[in-house]
Amino acid sequence: MDLSQYAELFLAESREHLTTINQLLLEWERDPEASEPVAGIFRAMHTMKGMAATMGYGQVADLTHRAENLLDILRRGETAPSEDVLELLFRSADALDQAIAASVAGRESELDLADILKAIDRSAKQLGAGMKRPEAARPSAPVMAAPAGAGRAVRVVLSPDSPLKGARGLLVLQRVEALGRVHAVEPPRAAFEGEGFTGTFAFRLETQASDEQLEREIRAAGDVERVEIGELEAVERPEERGRARHIRVDLRRLDALMNQIGELLTARGRLTDLSSRREDPELEDVAIRVSQLSGELQAEIVQARMTPVWQVFDRFPRLVRDLARKLGKQISFRVEGKEIELDRAILDEIGDPLVHLLRNAADHGIESSKERTAAGKPVEGVIELSASRERAAVAIRVRDDGKGIDRAGILAQAKERGLVDADVDELSDEMLLRLMSRANISTAEEVSDVSGRGVGIDAVAHAVRALGGGLEIESEVGKGTAFTLRLPTTLAIVRALITRVGEERYALPVTHVAETLDLGTVQVTRVDERDAMRLRDDVVPLVHLRRMVDIEGEGPPRSPVIVLQIGERRSGLVVDQLMGQQEIVVKSFAPPEGTLPIFSGATILGEGRPVLILDAGGLV
Amino acid sequence: MSHTVLVCDDAIFMRTMISDILTQAGFDVVGEAETGTQAVEQYRALKPDLVTMDIVMPDMGGIDAVREIVKDDPEARILMCSAMGQQALVVEAIQAGAKDFVVKPFQPSRVLEAVQRVLG
Repeated sequence: MDLSQYAELFLAESREHLTTINQLLLEWERDPEASEPVAGIFRAMHTMKGMAATMGYGQVADLTHRAENLLDILRRGETAPSEDVLELLFRSADALDQAIAASVAGRESELDLADILKAIDRSAKQLGAGMKRPEAARPSAPVMAAPAGAGRAVRVVLSPDSPLKGARGLLVLQRVEALGRVHAVEPPRAAFEGEGFTGTFAFRLETQASDEQLEREIRAAGDVERVEIGELEAVERPEERGRARHIRVDLRRLDALMNQIGELLTARGRLTDLSSRREDPELEDVAIRVSQLSGELQAEIVQARMTPVWQVFDRFPRLVRDLARKLGKQISFRVEGKEIELDRAILDEIGDPLVHLLRNAADHGIESSKERTAAGKPVEGVIELSASRERAAVAIRVRDDGKGIDRAGILAQAKERGLVDADVDELSDEMLLRLMSRANISTAEEVSDVSGRGVGIDAVAHAVRALGGGLEIESEVGKGTAFTLRLPTTLAIVRALITRVGEERYALPVTHVAETLDLGTVQVTRVDERDAMRLRDDVVPLVHLRRMVDIEGEGPPRSPVIVLQIGERRSGLVVDQLMGQQEIVVKSFAPPEGTLPIFSGATILGEGRPVLILDAGGLV
Repeated sequence: MSHTVLVCDDAIFMRTMISDILTQAGFDVVGEAETGTQAVEQYRALKPDLVTMDIVMPDMGGIDAVREIVKDDPEARILMCSAMGQQALVVEAIQAGAKDFVVKPFQPSRVLEAVQRVLG
């Protein structure tokens, strides 16, 4: 059998188990008396062992086997794990992560797990001295069909939270046996104690007792959720009831589908164009129908790509914990809005920027316990990661209650480098972000091991901009700092304003469009030798697209102005004409050297015309 | 008259906790035992309505104690106290004649439910 095709599935599923393990380890660390985490970790290790062995990844199988052995001792021992043991388990999870990645990449031979294996075995030997492992019955496949034979068929479903379901099931059988002859027990009694026993079992009973008596007697055994008496229909497995069913789909398939939908939308645009010119009612009917269907299809595929943010967020509690330990700080980490969904492609890109921001928050934001006490703050610092929906966008925020950013220090550095006029004595949040986004401005007095040199906000800002989003900062000295990433929910298809300048067309995603105005009706002034307009009580700088793309001549006097807004920053984009709104399919775009930094991609309009997509981030 | 109970566990902490749960619910805890041998002796002397029995105890284990007690009194009502992962031992105790079981960490409501079931 060719196993290579299962490698990706193995990798994806193993990563889920590793995430579970890390979460449970954190839980266990918080409450070492709890018994559930170790059981969960044990199960995850056990499952991975089986998977790895099937794949022929000997080293992963060996590592999980030994970790499972240690965990078995721990879960049987009923004693809280020491800090050393927990640390060892965390290290084992890391080693397992690496071993899995290496094995899947075909580099298993390069692995060196000798040290961690030795440590696990040593620990198991210390803890397990004198402990004996009883033989567990083999779990049998859960048989749910009604067993055939004489007597009434009975099925019992134990409550999902019932502990030791096998023993409980046996109590049920004992009580029933007092009423008559029990036979054809499914699964067989021996399997009740196996790990595969789900708490649902069936049997036949020859008895004089009424159904009511029978049910009363069964329920008296405790933890019984459901009793069914009579001829039983084939049953679905209890754990499958009411649960959405999922299959795994390679992301590349979804990408391919998305591209094809893009082509379809383009063709739909042409068809709509054509039908409006032909004035043929039959053609129009077809065009409308095709338009509806492709719209629904598009919505389905966009939805299929949506992924909840927890898929990325879930690895952060472990990250923050490790950072806190390394830095010797006390940090409580909170996560909110885990269920918010983003396009998979966007989600994949925000992991690194978020790691960056979390590192910064832990390293430069949160103060040491000593400093916090001196400042009259709670000793434990708080880092909060939250996701929330904001109209067409999703806001992801990393907030800390630390010392805030040293504006004076940054202002001084900026003045030294001539980036700010000497007479500026205060930095706005917006200015602060712009200065921090410059690679050579640093907020860290010393280079630390954790977040390296400076803060590298430029890298974060760049990544967020590339996704068509925006980055904002709020910071108050002594109170803390918050970074907000505002992201479109989906990358591939966006609603855009089609604009015209001279003979050229440009598409502008509506995500950051606040309003449109008529240049003839606004008051234009000059600020710092640049055009600006008065917009209610504010002055908003004007950007003439005509000049930016080097088109000769002036636009019409009543040119439209599109007001773009990213966070608190705004600008007015002057174009010649607005051609309407439409859905565009964003094609990835590798800009040639020297391209203006105001384009984020390209698309093809209904009539087959290629058009560049404007990047609001580059225009504001 | 309230039901009488014998609590058997080698840990003082556990005995105290179980006794508190039962006393507050109106039961009369008439004796405590910290080994299986003590449990058997106390049962003979006190003839309680109910016994709570830890599985792992020094000297004589809980399961052997169940066997001894049931040999003397087939109607004895014994509730096993077990930990997660001790399913095989609980099954053995039930086969030996224990009537029900509760799993640590104890939730008072679960303990009382089990006690009510055993007392029928």
